Amino acid sequence: MTWVAWRLQRTETLIMAAVLALLAALLIPTGIQMASAYHHDGMAACVVANPSPNCGNVIGNFTARFEPLRNATVWLTLLPGLIGASLAAPLVLDLEHGTHRLDWTQSITRRRWLAGKIGMAVGAALLVTLALTLLLTWWRTPFVKLNGRIDPAEYDAQGIVAYGYTLFALGLAMAIGVVWRRAVAAVVVAFLGYFGLRLFVDIWLRQRLISPVTKTWSSSTRGPDLNHSWVLNQTPSDKFGNAVAVTPEPCGSAPVPKPGGPRLECFSTHGAGYQHAVYHPASHFWALQSIETALFAGSALLLMAFAAWWTHQRTA
Amino acid sequence: MNDLAAVQTRELGKRYGSKWALRDCTLDIPAGSVTALVGPNGAGKTTLLQLAIGLTKPTAGEVCVLGRSPRDEADSVLPRVGFVAQDHPLHRRFSVAETLKLGRNLNPAWDDDYALDRIGRLGLPLKQKIGELSGGQQAQVALTLALAKRPELLLLDEPVAALDPLARREFLNALMEVVSETELTVVLSSHIVTDLERVCDHILILSQGRTQLVAQIEDVVASHRLLTGPRSDPDAVARVHQVIRESHTERQTTLLVRANGHVYDSCWQIHEVDLEEIVLAYLGYGGSADGTPNRVREAVAG
Repeated sequence: MTWVAWRLQRTETLIMAAVLALLAALLIPTGIQMASAYHHDGMAACVVANPSPNCGNVIGNFTARFEPLRNATVWLTLLPGLIGASLAAPLVLDLEHGTHRLDWTQSITRRRWLAGKIGMAVGAALLVTLALTLLLTWWRTPFVKLNGRIDPAEYDAQGIVAYGYTLFALGLAMAIGVVWRRAVAAVVVAFLGYFGLRLFVDIWLRQRLISPVTKTWSSSTRGPDLNHSWVLNQTPSDKFGNAVAVTPEPCGSAPVPKPGGPRLECFSTHGAGYQHAVYHPASHFWALQSIETALFAGSALLLMAFAAWWTHQRTA
Repeated sequence: MNDLAAVQTRELGKRYGSKWALRDCTLDIPAGSVTALVGPNGAGKTTLLQLAIGLTKPTAGEVCVLGRSPRDEADSVLPRVGFVAQDHPLHRRFSVAETLKLGRNLNPAWDDDYALDRIGRLGLPLKQKIGELSGGQQAQVALTLALAKRPELLLLDEPVAALDPLARREFLNALMEVVSETELTVVLSSHIVTDLERVCDHILILSQGRTQLVAQIEDVVASHRLLTGPRSDPDAVARVHQVIRESHTERQTTLLVRANGHVYDSCWQIHEVDLEEIVLAYLGYGGSADGTPNRVREAVAG
């Protein structure tokens, strides 16, 4: 069954591998460029606890140069959905073309057939996702050092969540496909479903998976390392953490002052004097990743179990 | 259950939605026979075969193949049964060689030499893609796949329906050759009766989801007679023989009967009938002996 499953999974897997190769061809040159710029500009010295004074410029230059590219790659977070949904196509195509009846009338039971088909799709999906995650993690290294991997723009290409995303899209496309028996339609609908769920999770759910840290500190002290945290909310406040609604007029509407900067004194003299932040510190990274991965992979398991049950019981 | 039956059904029924595709079907197909399963489209032929290979579950009754349930004991039934579906599905992107490899991978008793030999004799290039073969060639590949599995029972659903007359002849010849070489039991469904007589020794007639007749073809042909005579009521005949079809013109009555012994009745002219005529009579339509089309009992009221 392994050979048969692979032979039928081959085309879609190779297409996904080609997409990845194309992506690598685009990203590797800029990645090398970024890594060398990071090295030459001495950025490493700027992401430590006590950066040297000219670091603002260094970081500013680096960011200005590579930020547009980085923003473009944020869309790559849709790739796990594409990979997962596409790799469900071989199973659905078999049902659509009726070729499952060829396999089922050989000497193999449906149970083994399903295990072979689903297992092969899962294996291919995980391998392609592994390659994608390695590529993106490597490419984004400078930004991760700068902003931390829990930063929303980095988070979903780091760690293990991408495997959960891919498996979910795969399971969803399988579940829709075995009922509908239209491969293209199932892939498209599953991808849209994946996109919708990701929006919901990214915008609303993820920050609620575990309680964020809430902190109030005097603007004259250093405060927590928010650069490497996921800041949900940060405002100037009084010392009890109550937000001071209006940024003091003479200090301008620019972002929250950094410790040691001249605008901080302005803040202090005009009454705020404290900072209040709700955030996920870097230490929440693995807890968030584990819970989110478990949610996606768990749903994927349920969807695949449904697809297998439906095919086993209902399909002739 | 009977060891000699390759396929045995008891009050077997299958319903799709509210429509019964097969109903109250009780039959025994003897081991070693070559049985033609005939009936019009929608008679339940495909359903019966799919139930026998376990592709669908019965709604009612039971089916036993080689003494076992094809659905619950798939492990032990599937390796012993070859099946070619109506549209003989094959993976179109596979080459012929890959299709054989699939057979090798999915069947423990796969006979590779036989498969290669058969493909070679058909003159099919191993590297050719299935999608590039003609319908007849695809049917031959599907049959090869089913045969190289070395089954005891071969189920063929409308194997020749989609083929042109030449391919049909070749396919049936190949089948006859196999049957003569082995002990294979074959069940072959068709809505075309021509040619079947050459290949099959038993016939099973299905109509409207019910079994109409299961018998040896020789007996069927020997026992059915066409009676023609002056217009009359067939009741007297029906008391002794089974009237399958009656048709009337203004002056003449024609009866197709399954004779219970010899027909002694000087009122009637007695003719032999061929298998096709008998089958058509069981299916409830067809021409009369003189070629004028008639509907069953159509003229009785008029």
